[in-house]
Amino acid sequence: CISGGLPKPTNITFLSINMKNILQWSPPEGLQGAEVTYTVQYFIYGQKKWLSKSECRNINRTCCDLSVETSDYEHQYYAKVKAIWETNCSKWAETGRFYPFLETQIGPPRVALTTDEKSISIVLTAPEKWKRSPEESSISMRQIYSNLKYNVSIYNTKSNRMWSQCVTNHTLVLVWLEPDTLYCILVESFVPGPPRLAQPSEKQCVRTLKDQTSALRVKII
Amino acid sequence: LRRCLISMDIHPVEETFQEIKKTIQAKDTFQNVTILSTSETLHSIKPSDVCCMTKNLLAFYVDRVFKDHQELNPQILRKISSIANSFLYMHKALQRCQAQRQCHCREAATNATRIIHDNYDQLEVRSAAIKSLGELDVLLAWIDKNHQGTLVA
Repeated sequence: CISGGLPKPTNITFLSINMKNILQWSPPEGLQGAEVTYTVQYFIYGQKKWLSKSECRNINRTCCDLSVETSDYEHQYYAKVKAIWETNCSKWAETGRFYPFLETQIGPPRVALTTDEKSISIVLTAPEKWKRSPEESSISMRQIYSNLKYNVSIYNTKSNRMWSQCVTNHTLVLVWLEPDTLYCILVESFVPGPPRLAQPSEKQCVRTLKDQTSALRVKII
Repeated sequence: LRRCLISMDIHPVEETFQEIKKTIQAKDTFQNVTILSTSETLHSIKPSDVCCMTKNLLAFYVDRVFKDHQELNPQILRKISSIANSFLYMHKALQRCQAQRQCHCREAATNATRIIHDNYDQLEVRSAAIKSLGELDVLLAWIDKNHQGTLVA
């Protein structure tokens, strides 16, 4: 194909969550409607040559899963993509150096809540690292990041009051809460160090139990 | 024997580097060569050799990389100087620890350090310096990971 006959793909980046590393890009400008295909290559920093991924040769979609190829998260990588249309193709559009260990987003933990009259117990389970197949044994992101922490945000729907707490281990008990009140909780994982994008958990809401003592008092009167 | 660990919070240094990383790494056009060669050097270092290896790496950056690098952009230069000062501080702290004989240098750390210097010497000095700067994220992540624990230095 005639190289440079097309504009390059744009916005080429790695979207990385729990070490699942997806290369994504935008189509070249000015080619709406054209049947453009793409070819991807990747490079392991310090190695000798660019490598191809057969599943990402002449593809229509604008993303390519390079999780397997970039699975050694302590290495660094580059990736590039070019656009092809009929006899023309673009020059390569290349990413910056990608370092999964420092750049992967840490997904939210699993959150289990149990309530009492004036307290809520929160149990957090660290997210799992991406794995090649369901049969592969699971690795917790905590095994990779021993300093993994959580930011727990709590919202009292009655008083509209919100506060948050930073948690290092996996349990937290919220005390001195109001009985019979709906509380909503969001949890975000983070690793101290260079800033990373974060993904909060699904909001979960639970109601504290009714105050048994006041119920008893009513009965006595 | 208590280990020598860096007491300084390294995260501000990581954040400073993060701000110039893309610019610095973009200047490094030799993708097929690395200076730190982590799998042959840093990953083979045992806890007992961490202090010596850290001291050698800090000295490598202070005595060679920061001196060999020439930067025209004043903002980048300011960030690099800030990082260099932090390295100087950490290096002095580990030197004090060595004086108290708690920072032994064994063959593993010495060999790993030599590999790094050899890698550096194979490139033209400006290219070697810019490549070494571009690998600061790797070094800082290694220091952060290996210096968590009881603080001495």
